[in-house]
Amino acid sequence: MTAAGLVVRSAVVRYDDDAPRGRRRAEPTTAVAGVDLEVADGEILALLGPSGCGKSSLLRAVAGLEPLAGGSVTFDGQDLAGVPVHRRGFGLLFQDGQLFAHRSVARNVSYGLEVARVPRAEQAARVRELLAAVGLAGYGERDVSTLSGGERQRVALARALAPRPRLLLLDEPFSALDRALRERLAVDVRDVLRATGTTAIFVTHDHDEANTVADRIAVMSAGRLLQVAPPQELWRAPASREVAEFLGYQAFVPDGDGWLAVAPAGLRVLDGAPGAATRGEWAARVVGSTFRRGRVEVTVDTDLGGGPQRLVALTGTVELPAVGARVVVGLDPGGTAVVPR
Amino acid sequence: MNRTRLGWGVAVALPLAFLGVFFAWPVAALVGRGFVADGGGVDLGGLRDVLGSPRTWRLVGITLAQAAAGSVGSVLLGLPVAYLLYRTRFPGRAVLRGLVTVPFVLPTVVVGVAFRSLFRADGPLGWAGLEETFVGVVVALVFFNVSVVVRTVGGLWERLDPRAEQAARALGATPQRAFRTVTLPALGPAIASAAAVVFLFCATAFGVVLVLGGLGYGTIETEIYRRTTQFLDLRTAAVLSILQLVVVTGALFAAARARGRGERALHLEQEDVAAHRWSARRASDVGAAAATVVVVGVLIVLPLAGLVGRSFRGPDGAWTLANYRALGTTGGRNALSVTVWEALGTSLRTALIATAIAVVVGGLVALVVSRRPRARAARRAVGLLDAVVMLPLGVSAVTVGFGFLITLDRPLGLNIDLRTSGLLVPAAQAVVAVPLVVRTVLPVLRAIDPRLRQAAAVLGAPPGRVLRDIDLPIALRSLGLAIGFAFSVSLGEFGATAFLARPDSATLPVVIFRLIGRPGAENYGMALAASVILAAITAACVMLAERLRQDRGAGAVGGEF
Repeated sequence: MTAAGLVVRSAVVRYDDDAPRGRRRAEPTTAVAGVDLEVADGEILALLGPSGCGKSSLLRAVAGLEPLAGGSVTFDGQDLAGVPVHRRGFGLLFQDGQLFAHRSVARNVSYGLEVARVPRAEQAARVRELLAAVGLAGYGERDVSTLSGGERQRVALARALAPRPRLLLLDEPFSALDRALRERLAVDVRDVLRATGTTAIFVTHDHDEANTVADRIAVMSAGRLLQVAPPQELWRAPASREVAEFLGYQAFVPDGDGWLAVAPAGLRVLDGAPGAATRGEWAARVVGSTFRRGRVEVTVDTDLGGGPQRLVALTGTVELPAVGARVVVGLDPGGTAVVPR
Repeated sequence: MNRTRLGWGVAVALPLAFLGVFFAWPVAALVGRGFVADGGGVDLGGLRDVLGSPRTWRLVGITLAQAAAGSVGSVLLGLPVAYLLYRTRFPGRAVLRGLVTVPFVLPTVVVGVAFRSLFRADGPLGWAGLEETFVGVVVALVFFNVSVVVRTVGGLWERLDPRAEQAARALGATPQRAFRTVTLPALGPAIASAAAVVFLFCATAFGVVLVLGGLGYGTIETEIYRRTTQFLDLRTAAVLSILQLVVVTGALFAAARARGRGERALHLEQEDVAAHRWSARRASDVGAAAATVVVVGVLIVLPLAGLVGRSFRGPDGAWTLANYRALGTTGGRNALSVTVWEALGTSLRTALIATAIAVVVGGLVALVVSRRPRARAARRAVGLLDAVVMLPLGVSAVTVGFGFLITLDRPLGLNIDLRTSGLLVPAAQAVVAVPLVVRTVLPVLRAIDPRLRQAAAVLGAPPGRVLRDIDLPIALRSLGLAIGFAFSVSLGEFGATAFLARPDSATLPVVIFRLIGRPGAENYGMALAASVILAAITAACVMLAERLRQDRGAGAVGGEF
């Protein structure tokens, strides 16, 4: 089978750390512990996981910046073992851009083209085209030190895309930016990647970002992949309780052979008298409430069957219930998922 | 990949070969002579005799005391100056920074002559009775080294995030307490590192001690010189060299430890944003300014002004240009084989070659040491190289010079005599200058985020191209300063050159030393005038280098190099 695109088989990445003081040898740290992954031509895959789960290490191994301690990375059927970083034809976008401070914006973007000895006129045209694509038309002669954080990341994106990489690797590209900018850039990046038909791996620890940008999401934890699926499917059917917990499911009600996982928006405060809770309804006590994004979120103490827990429920009203009030909560079918045990 | 390996191989082999032939081998050969009996075979008698002699331990004591006093003095006087020059802003700061740097690059012989004219019975400080005393020598050493402390500590202080101290103040700490509990610990590694380097310089000082200390005063270094040149007692000299090496290695080790801790994650700002405008209402600003006035005025300006002033006076005290006119002669009673101007020409030529060698060798070392290889063994090797290239700073220049004489007549069995080729003096000076080049360029290369190189590599740049496009433009910013340092150090090098330069190709420092050793007021006056010329050239070239660096720094971004 010669698959188009990227194929990672049983990849292992280890770090040879310095021995701590007083000890002769350090145990090597295993950051990636046998990962299988495929990214099809033109696909955008998000690598989602908590910090320290090995997702950046996996990305760096694909780029050729970390050697594989085991397994293989192939692209369009070609084994990349022994192919140095600069011959892989990939693009990489770092968290903080890593712009070349001694070059102008245009000369940053054209760097990959200069290295590839693209004729000058063509370089200039490509730089103009990309700066326009990332919304920075006319910024070419600017000094990179005069740019804002968001602008720097746009330049870094244009620089990475300029040589038309076969695969673009994005390593938490927006995590240093503020929330509003992050959300806007995520949309922009998706549009640019779609428009250019670029195959990409996008590392992030933010679900919303992954949902916005990716065709499929790979959830990673402790060096292993837990599940790879399109965003809706992942949300609807988490493969395990661990995946569901990472996605933000807050409670797990025993349900047959598995769990009924309750999402943050899966619990509602119902109208009706306390004490009259029927099946699918539970009595709860209000601990506190906040007004968030236009809705009231109530923190309640309740027991859904898995022991007493402190959970968040939504209300249909805009009034804040009093602390200590007794209420009834129920599930919203749209906010739950069945998770195999 | 193989070409890359080859490239790194050359980058490691070239400096090692240079330092091997022109440093390790001569030193080892000289030291070895001390332990080889006349008929061959090991003779440890020298070790027993020298270590058993009370004179040796007196010399060791004086050396350590001199180095300790010099370091403590430099740190105490350097800290307030570092604060003023790197933590506050005021008009004329750049000039003052340049002025404070000058002493460090002044030739030791010149400093010796300057302080001698200050301490002489008829000099401005004659009343203090410092001539040929321990205190006099220490004062001159502090003059030299205060700038090391100011630069090392100031460089870090300038970029220290002021918000940590502000947080401490907000938590209720007094300014003194915030300084003691937050700022001082953060500066600790830099202070320790500077102190260790100063200790090293003070322990191996040669020119200053020889000129200022007089005959009754001696350290290990001057004793090695006397033993070899006056008594041809190689055995004793070799043992003393080893003793010195022990002291020096200890200081270097302490410095490396301190530097290593300095690379801990301190929160550093871009240069200079942490400085505030100088204010007469801040007690710390006023105190630092007062201390700086004393340091700069008494310690730096007074001796230099005194030197310049006396160089324009005749033996009778009248103002005259006679001393400068005499520079075209060979001195009273033909004290010299060449005129002073001829010696200056030799000095400049030699220093140019030495600088070229030092910049190539030191640049390669800095490049190699700036990398953090993946394999643990390679990381250790890099760390070792880092420490080894610092050794020439501490090994007696006299040892190096004398070692050259006994090894390089027919190096490696080749039928060439390097001693007459004219390359020997530049090579010796380059050995002394290499550590300074490394220390100037290395921090700049280390500060490059490795991901910047990775970004270039991912964009398709092969390793050589990454070096050219990323490392080189950034390293060039410090290269001007490195060249300036290397040139002035080569120009002023005295210990090794004193051994190697033949009378007809003597350099300026050698000529100056010879002049003050000869009787006659005319020769002394010539020595003063020649010192002024030498000081002016070295100071000008360091000020120029410093200026280049600042221009680059300010316009660093955006410019093509």
